Amino acid sequence: MTSHIMDDTVNMNDGAGSVTVPRADLHVSMRGVHKVFRRRRQVVEALRSVDLDVQRGEFVSLLGPSGCGKSTLLRVIGGLVEPDGGVVEVAGQLPTIARKTKQYGLVPQTPALMPWATVERNVRFLSSLDAGRRSDAASLSDRDIDDLIDTVGLAGFRTSYPHELSGGMQQRVSLVRGFALGAPILLMDEPFAALDEITRAEMRYLLLDLWQRTGTTVVFVTHSITEAVILSDRVVVMAARPGRIAAVEPISLGRPRLPEMEDAPEFHEHVRVLRDHLQDHS
Amino acid sequence: MSVRDDIDPAESAGGMADVAVPGVDIDELLVADDRRARQQAFLRFGAPLIGVVGFLLVWQILVAVFDVPRFVLPAPWDILKHIAGDPGFYIRNGRVTVWEASLGFFTALVLALAAGTVMAHSPFVERASMPLAVLIQVTPIIAYAPAIVVWLGFGLKPILVITSLVCFVPFLVNSVAGFRSVDPNLLELARSVDARKRVVFWRLRVPSSLPFLFSAARIAVGLALVGAVLGEFFAGSTAGLGYAVKTAQARPIQLLDQLWGSIFVLGFIGAMATLLISALERVALHWHSSQRL
Repeated sequence: MTSHIMDDTVNMNDGAGSVTVPRADLHVSMRGVHKVFRRRRQVVEALRSVDLDVQRGEFVSLLGPSGCGKSTLLRVIGGLVEPDGGVVEVAGQLPTIARKTKQYGLVPQTPALMPWATVERNVRFLSSLDAGRRSDAASLSDRDIDDLIDTVGLAGFRTSYPHELSGGMQQRVSLVRGFALGAPILLMDEPFAALDEITRAEMRYLLLDLWQRTGTTVVFVTHSITEAVILSDRVVVMAARPGRIAAVEPISLGRPRLPEMEDAPEFHEHVRVLRDHLQDHS
Repeated sequence: MSVRDDIDPAESAGGMADVAVPGVDIDELLVADDRRARQQAFLRFGAPLIGVVGFLLVWQILVAVFDVPRFVLPAPWDILKHIAGDPGFYIRNGRVTVWEASLGFFTALVLALAAGTVMAHSPFVERASMPLAVLIQVTPIIAYAPAIVVWLGFGLKPILVITSLVCFVPFLVNSVAGFRSVDPNLLELARSVDARKRVVFWRLRVPSSLPFLFSAARIAVGLALVGAVLGEFFAGSTAGLGYAVKTAQARPIQLLDQLWGSIFVLGFIGAMATLLISALERVALHWHSSQRL
C-alpha cells in the first residue's frame, strides 16, 4: 500500500502513540506539542498534547473543521510557529534548523505569486533566495524544473505573468514552486480550497503524480473528507477547542490512486468512518 | 442575420471569423467589438483633449463677449501667440525651473527611500519620525520658505531644500506603505526557507513598493514645480519661470502677457512630466492591476 516507501517492513504508526518504527524512516516526530494563542488576554488552546509521526515519503492529511489547529500544526512542523511545549523533530533536527537548511517546500492556501515575475521566475523563487547558502535539499536542476512545468501543463506559459493565468493555473505554479526546491518535505495548507470543484479534482491527481515522481513526504491540510481519502496514506482527524488529534485513519486504497477509486465501496467506507470521527468530536 | 451552421469552421477561415456558431453572426459581433474599441480609444485620448480645448474656447468666448480688457484677463489665444512670439525667453527660464524641480524631486526620492528603508525595518524609528514628517507636510511651505532663504542665503541651495522638502513626505509615506504591502503569504514562503531580511527587502519589498512610489511621483511632480517657483520668489533668483512671474507681477500692466505665458508654460511642463511618469508606469507596472482597463 505504500510502495513508494523503500522499506516495506516498517510498521505504520496507526494512531495515538504506538511508535515501533526505526528512527531513520521517521521524518517528522512530535511529542506532547502544545500551542496557546493569546489575544487581548483571551487564551485559545490551538494545540493540546499532540503526538504525531510521519514516515519518510508518506502522504499525511490533517483533516478538521476551521479553528481545529490544523494550520497551526503544519506551521509548527515547518518551524514557522514556535510551540509552547513539547518536542518536534524533522529528520532529527529542530524545525528552525530544518528551515535554515531548506528542508521545506511550502504551498500556501492562496497561490501567493510575485505579480511582477513570470511563471518561470515564480517557480524558481524559493530556490533562488540565498542561492549561495548551504542547503541540504539539492535544488532541482533547470531541466527538472522545466519538466515539472510541462507536467502541470504550463509549458506554453513560462513567460506569462500571474495576472494572465486562471486561478487554477496560478495554483499549479504555486505547486511546482513547492516541488522545485527539491525539499524532502512538502507542507501544503489547503492549497486547493479556493479552486472550483472540477479544477480541484484535476489538481489532486496532478499532485499525486508529482509526489510519486519525487518521493517527498507530504503533510497536507484540508477540510475536505474526500480529498483527504483520495490523496493520503493516513488521515489525521483533528478536533477544535482545544485543537487536538481525535483519530488517525490509515487509507487502504492502492497506489497509484485513480479517479475510478472514488466510486469504490472502500473509498466510501473511509469517507463514512472519517465523517463519524468528525461528528463525534464536534 | 445569417445562419452559418452549414459552414465548416476550417473552411470559413477566409472570412473574418474562424469559428462558426449556429444562429450567431460572428462577423457582426467582431464589427461591434471594433466599434467598442474605437469608442474606448476616443474616451482615453479624445475626451481629455476636448476637455482642455473646450475650456480654453469658453474662456476665449467669455473674454470676447464681456469685452474684458487685456490688462485684466487676456484671452488664451493671445497668451499662446505671445509665447510663440518669444519662445527663447520661455525655453531659457523653463529650463532653469525644470532643472531646480527635477533636482529637488530626485533628492527627495533618494532621501525618502533611504529613510523609508530604515523606518520599514524599525518600528521605533517609524513611530519617532512620523510626527516630524507630518509636521513638514502640514506646515505651509510658503511660511518657512523665507526662513530657509535667510538661513542658507540666495541661490540654488535654498531652492533645492524647499523643493526637496515638499516632495519628501509623499515619497516617504508611500515608500513605507509600499515596503509593508508585500503579500503576507509571500513573506511566509520566504521565511520557510529562512531567507535573510536583506534578500526579502530587495526581492519582495522593493518590487511591491513600486505602485506606491509611482503614486507618490504623480503627487510630487506638481509639488516639485510649486517648490521651484516658490524658491525663485524668495531666493533672489534672476532666472526661471518663478522669477518671470514675480517680475511680471511687479509691473502687471506692461508684463501681464509674461505672467500668463509663464503660467501656461508651467502648466505645460507639469502635464508633460505627468505624461512621462504615466508612460514609465505603464512599462514598469505592466503586471499591476492599475494598468489594466
